[in-house]
Amino acid sequence: MSRSLNMPGSRPPRTIWEAISPFRLIGELSETRYWMYLLLLPSALLITAVVLYPTVYGMQMSFREMRLNRPDLGNDWVLFKHYVRMINDPIFWVSLRNTAVWVTSSIVLEFLIGLIAALALNRDLPGTKLLAVLILLPYFLPNVVAGHMWALMLDPRMGVINDLLLKVGLLTEYKAWFADPTTAMAAAIIVEAWHSFPFFTLLIMAGLKGIPTDLYKAANIDGAGAFAQLRLITLPMLKTIIAAAVILRVIGLVNSPDLLLILTSGGPGRSTQVLSLYAFQMAYKDFNFGYAGALSVVMFVFLMLFAWAYVRLSKVNQE
Amino acid sequence: MATLSIKGVRKSYGSLEVLSNIDLELEDGGFLVLLGPSGCGKSTLLSIIAGLEPSSGGDVVIGGRTVNDVHPKDRNIAMVFQSYALYPTMSVQRNIGFGLEMRKVETAARESAVAGAAELLQISHLLERKPGQLSGGQRQRVAMGRAIVRQPDLFLFDEPLSNLDAKLRVEMRTEIKRLHDRLGTSVVYVTHDQVEAMTLGTKVAVMKGGVIQQLADPQTIYERPANMFVAGFIGSPTMNFLEGTLVQDGGGLVLKHAAGALVLTGIEQDVRSHIGRPVVAGIRPETMSAAGGASTLQGSVDVVEPTGPDTMVIVNVGGQMITARLGSRDRPKLGAEMTLAVDTAAVNLFDPESGNRIGGDV
Amino acid sequence: MAQTRSGSKLLWDILSYAIMIVLAIICIGPIIWTFLTSIKVEEDIVTRDMVYFPTRFTFESYVKLWNQSSYPVLVMNSLVVTSLTVLICLLTGSIAAYSFSRFNFKGRTQLMLAYLVVRMFPAVLMIIPLFIVMRNIGLLDSTVGLAVAYTSFLLPLFVWMLKGFFDAAPKELESAARIDGSTRIGAMFRIVIPIARNGLVATCVFVAIAAWNEYLFALMLTTSQGSRTWPVGLQLMVGEFQLPWGMLAAGGMISILPVIILFAIVQRVMVAGITAGAVKG
Repeated sequence: MSRSLNMPGSRPPRTIWEAISPFRLIGELSETRYWMYLLLLPSALLITAVVLYPTVYGMQMSFREMRLNRPDLGNDWVLFKHYVRMINDPIFWVSLRNTAVWVTSSIVLEFLIGLIAALALNRDLPGTKLLAVLILLPYFLPNVVAGHMWALMLDPRMGVINDLLLKVGLLTEYKAWFADPTTAMAAAIIVEAWHSFPFFTLLIMAGLKGIPTDLYKAANIDGAGAFAQLRLITLPMLKTIIAAAVILRVIGLVNSPDLLLILTSGGPGRSTQVLSLYAFQMAYKDFNFGYAGALSVVMFVFLMLFAWAYVRLSKVNQE
Repeated sequence: MATLSIKGVRKSYGSLEVLSNIDLELEDGGFLVLLGPSGCGKSTLLSIIAGLEPSSGGDVVIGGRTVNDVHPKDRNIAMVFQSYALYPTMSVQRNIGFGLEMRKVETAARESAVAGAAELLQISHLLERKPGQLSGGQRQRVAMGRAIVRQPDLFLFDEPLSNLDAKLRVEMRTEIKRLHDRLGTSVVYVTHDQVEAMTLGTKVAVMKGGVIQQLADPQTIYERPANMFVAGFIGSPTMNFLEGTLVQDGGGLVLKHAAGALVLTGIEQDVRSHIGRPVVAGIRPETMSAAGGASTLQGSVDVVEPTGPDTMVIVNVGGQMITARLGSRDRPKLGAEMTLAVDTAAVNLFDPESGNRIGGDV
Repeated sequence: MAQTRSGSKLLWDILSYAIMIVLAIICIGPIIWTFLTSIKVEEDIVTRDMVYFPTRFTFESYVKLWNQSSYPVLVMNSLVVTSLTVLICLLTGSIAAYSFSRFNFKGRTQLMLAYLVVRMFPAVLMIIPLFIVMRNIGLLDSTVGLAVAYTSFLLPLFVWMLKGFFDAAPKELESAARIDGSTRIGAMFRIVIPIARNGLVATCVFVAIAAWNEYLFALMLTTSQGSRTWPVGLQLMVGEFQLPWGMLAAGGMISILPVIILFAIVQRVMVAGITAGAVKG
């Protein structure tokens, strides 16, 4: 049953032009059994070139001396030198702790706001469509602009938030939110939550649509109140989608230092220094690619472990 | 128009065999129905005939030409799909004419062919519309129009009526029958609906688990089912299976069952091999009547279900539930003792172990 | 009974509206404030008495930003990079999405999973080698190089999202087209792509927005005016010239205007696509 390139049943070309026409050739190619692989080839090659190769390269880089501004040191293998340095690097440990705070707080906040927004939007009241567009909008805005919008509003001299808080009496004087090590992280987390909570809203709304309304009717008849319904029907039914959303957000939060880079650059002091930011600065400012690579590899390993454990845990819970 | 023969066609996905060694013959102008429960392989077989899926072995021969390696478009077939598969972005006109367009038929000829098909199916007024603007029945007609306009050798129907409501389904079934009578093109028709199979087919292949259980004309399938699966699958209410032992009593045969004995006269099977052994008697509900006679079953009335023209009575015969289709006037009382006369010439005896009809095919 | 039922429904309705309106204000408040800042006169921005409802308006910030800075060049560069990214995704990703959507072949699930796992790789881990490789082949600091780098995280997204849209076009349609005389590729272009047209547009817009917004890769992989994108340029202006708030706000508004417009136009299809990809993944 082999299908050869030259399909025996296909119509023979009428003219020489038709015989060498690229459309005809591609058309015939599309009937072979390798067609699906041919379609995948370009993207697979591209991803290999821009993802897999750099990643492998980056991993081996973490075992090498590689400082772009110190060519005199050469590019020799240094085995675990960078990893050993990491263990003795206090900034690494601070960054690790900050990453944990940054990721956990942001996720909790984003999930809660996202869930509440999704529940409200899902009621399909008149006007919801417009409100949904407004509520989802922040997710699509660039980090750079989101960061500066909030920097403008939280400005220590002319920030509108300071002014509002002063007016309602929560503050006695303008506060430099990003300059104070005790509030910098919290302020950054609020900006991050504002920027990304719509992602949870998006996914949870989709999940809510998939829950049969009969379940709620039955629960109503059984006398379950709104919160019992949320706890016993909505959340369990959304488990998979929440798990997926959490994993995707954790990956995003751990991997991309963009927002903190724009808001605080890790400061003041090291109070908002997270791992991804540390790795990026190690590469971008110090040009110490080896150590930056090692930091990234550690991040990657943490992420893999997290994803694995999380998927396992949520599966165990389901059984 | 053409004949179709399937010779030893197999299909497996890895170690999973979905079709095993299928043999079929369809005469020119015949109407073959592939009938079976979902997952029996009937749709896969149709896809292989169409050339949409390669088989794992065997030959498909259409009109004397082996088409194993021939592209679907070059098999000169036309297919009607369950979801109709109308191209949503094209008008009805273009949908119907698309096959001709692909074959580079000139516009004038194409338009007249489309007009002809549309007229035959009474959809001429819909030609400018998009499929999304049509009702279910209209879409079905367009899908058939797309098939007939090409004047293929063979029509393939894949559960074409299953998306329609009950009333339309009956209407379109009649329509398909009328079209087949008129065009005379050979048809292979896949369905899980036994009524469609019985009304449309000149030949019915009952399938289960990738194997053809019986291939025969509808009459034979109904009256002389090859095994208990076919017997149970065809007919509504389903055939009764009465378990007992076959014994020789004087000159005649008798089925001894839990609550007595059923005298079997006029049995058309060769059942000598099973005398003295357990057998299953297949009795169709409508072959019983509320009267006395030589061959009877006695039991107590369990359920009475009037349906209008008939009354279904379920009788407990020694622990085995037997359904009889009686006249609308017959309304026995619940729990009453009842005698059912059986037309034993219509009884089929099966081997309980293999499930096959004893004595082989008629 | 009936009265309390409708009473509690009313209560929930009011609560829902309250939540949605508060959230909507929080969500677009910063955008409105930024816009107001961008059209305020300088004295109204730098003042101890907050001006909530400005009475004087000016487009000076916009004019200054457009005429006196390199912003037009930056925006142009971003347009080029964004278009190139979308083009690369369209050329390579749409056929891959089609293959995943249409065929059942060995390793399909694993391969699709691989396209997803790719997102787990830390950006920094990829950026550094990309920097080295692109420097070696001369693509560093070029719009083409940046667009290629963007495909590392946007192409998998593109494929997953588009696959969801392709899945919505029934397979039977292609069977019908093939029996009607189309080749597979003919069926793809004549039948499937026209049906998935809205989805294709939404997917492209999604990728375009992401490319337009991107900051980190651009910061690392561009070094000069010739290829620098607007997020990097804007950030540099803030750092180097102590950009006044008015101009910064104007820059922000200019940059997010296309995003807001595109999002508003295709948001429903796009949102459906994003969630479909994530739900299945």
